[in-house]
Amino acid sequence: MGTKLEALLKSPWVFHLSTGSCNNCDIEVLDCLTPRFDIERFGMLLAGSIKHADVLLVTGSCNRKSVARLKRLYEQVPKPCLVVAIGECSLSRGMFIHSYNCPVPLDKIIPVDVYIPGCPPKPEAIIAGVVKLIERVQEKAAAKK
Amino acid sequence: MDRDPVLKEIRQKLKDDILDVFDKSAKRVYIGIKPESIRKAAQCLFKDMGARFNIASGVDVRDRMEILYHFTFEDINLLVSLRVTLPKDKLEIESLAPLFEGANWIEREMNELLGITFKGHPDMRRLLLPEEWPQGVYPLRCDYKEWDKDAVRDRGV
Repeated sequence: MGTKLEALLKSPWVFHLSTGSCNNCDIEVLDCLTPRFDIERFGMLLAGSIKHADVLLVTGSCNRKSVARLKRLYEQVPKPCLVVAIGECSLSRGMFIHSYNCPVPLDKIIPVDVYIPGCPPKPEAIIAGVVKLIERVQEKAAAKK
Repeated sequence: MDRDPVLKEIRQKLKDDILDVFDKSAKRVYIGIKPESIRKAAQCLFKDMGARFNIASGVDVRDRMEILYHFTFEDINLLVSLRVTLPKDKLEIESLAPLFEGANWIEREMNELLGITFKGHPDMRRLLLPEEWPQGVYPLRCDYKEWDKDAVRDRGV
């Protein structure tokens, strides 16, 4: 990871993508933006377009139809970018592992940097996961110097 | 309008088409209908008696296929389910989509997930399954087998 990524992480803009989730994880992601959890104190902002984003938050179990959309979005993220998998479904497809419509887990489709488990994970867990990722990237960048 | 007169009227109008009536509870009645008279029965409930078409559900019961057409009489809080039984070797029934638009998408869904043919459906395209899904494979049938060689079915631990 280059210095460019480290610079971006002063204020990472996140894009939130649901690949067929039950919307519970999405509600928790939205909770993070409310004044109670206030994810903006870490500089994080929800980006409206994938082309403005530095971090891709993925929820849901990657069904056959959304995989094509997911790949298309991943091609459009300005690189370098980070991918965060939120919730049991995007980690290992959870209870849908034997579903005819969910053949491949997320990390076999695109590279994933952080896994945040839970069904759904609490907003605290999501914030902790993303902050840990940012710290790890910054430490690595500092060690290189 | 009350519950008993409504049921009486249904029995009277569909006298020759009813196979059995199962009065499950105060809110719920199942009526077995001959497959060939489903359009007449739907016409009677929907057009003549003013019931609302709620949804239809297809069920694979191993030796046969069942379709339940759920009609609600909202003012008296009654759900009438017309039950149609189809043999596995002849999965054909008349479409209700020309009667009411609400049956259009659910029949498309039943067609691709269970393989039931709806005769006279105006627009039988794929609704839910992706393009690469093979023809003639129906995922919600009891005898469905995994066809995708690339599918990963373990958690990797």
